Amino acid sequence: MKIPKRSFEASVPSMAMGDIAFLLLIFFVILARAQDDSHLRWEPAAEEELKQAKNYKASVVIDVDSKSYLNGRPIAQGQLAGALTDILGNAEQKKRTVLLKVHKDATAIHFEPVIEAVSKAGGEIHHVLEKQRK
Amino acid sequence: MKLRRNKLLVEPPAGASSDIAFILIVFFLVCASVQPEQGRPQEIPKSEEEPDKKNQSQNPEVELTRTAVILNGDPVPNKTFAPRLASLLARKERQEDKVVVLKSRKDVPYERWINVTGLIEQAGGVVTLQLEEEQAHIVN
Repeated sequence: MKIPKRSFEASVPSMAMGDIAFLLLIFFVILARAQDDSHLRWEPAAEEELKQAKNYKASVVIDVDSKSYLNGRPIAQGQLAGALTDILGNAEQKKRTVLLKVHKDATAIHFEPVIEAVSKAGGEIHHVLEKQRK
Repeated sequence: MKLRRNKLLVEPPAGASSDIAFILIVFFLVCASVQPEQGRPQEIPKSEEEPDKKNQSQNPEVELTRTAVILNGDPVPNKTFAPRLASLLARKERQEDKVVVLKSRKDVPYERWINVTGLIEQAGGVVTLQLEEEQAHIVN
């Protein structure tokens, strides 16, 4: 006499997939925010002709309060050159671009030392600006 | 006689929820990464410990204040600054002679600085900065 084998259904519970994906979403969004500087307040200066930045390695912001930030984190101007040198490392010349986002009303005493620091670190400066309205 | 109603299964298809969530991930990530990146590249010569003062004295000097642009000691109206500098640089053949030394006052706003450095680059010059402490060092 043959005893029929009992077959068990072993499907993956697909209802949980939505929850897993949602947690992944939160994880990636938090990770993205930790590195960006979209939370900082600054207004770009205007320029007629603009170019798209390519292969940038870091971004430096001077906000409305004239405070300096490197990749979204506050940094003293004296430490900027060293920190940028570490980030840029031995990257080739075309891949040493540093985005410079300076509030339009920031004064030379605040932004010129930052430009000098980028220059000391061997970075290629790319000023982030907005299109001038005619 | 009573008719029996057919009970239909109305449970939403759970298999599609993972696809929906994945598309949401992509959407939010794309939204998060959209930041302004357009602007102007600027080449600034790497600063040296001991600047070559002999060469610097031959290079055009631009002093920038909130209201005026001073080219080699002469105040120049904003409109005529670019053509005057261009004619000055046209006489110079070597690339290192086209370096323009920019001295900005402490209170010059970034927007004005960007406009003037843009004019210098349009005129064929390469901007190099002389910071406040270096200026004081030269005076002494």
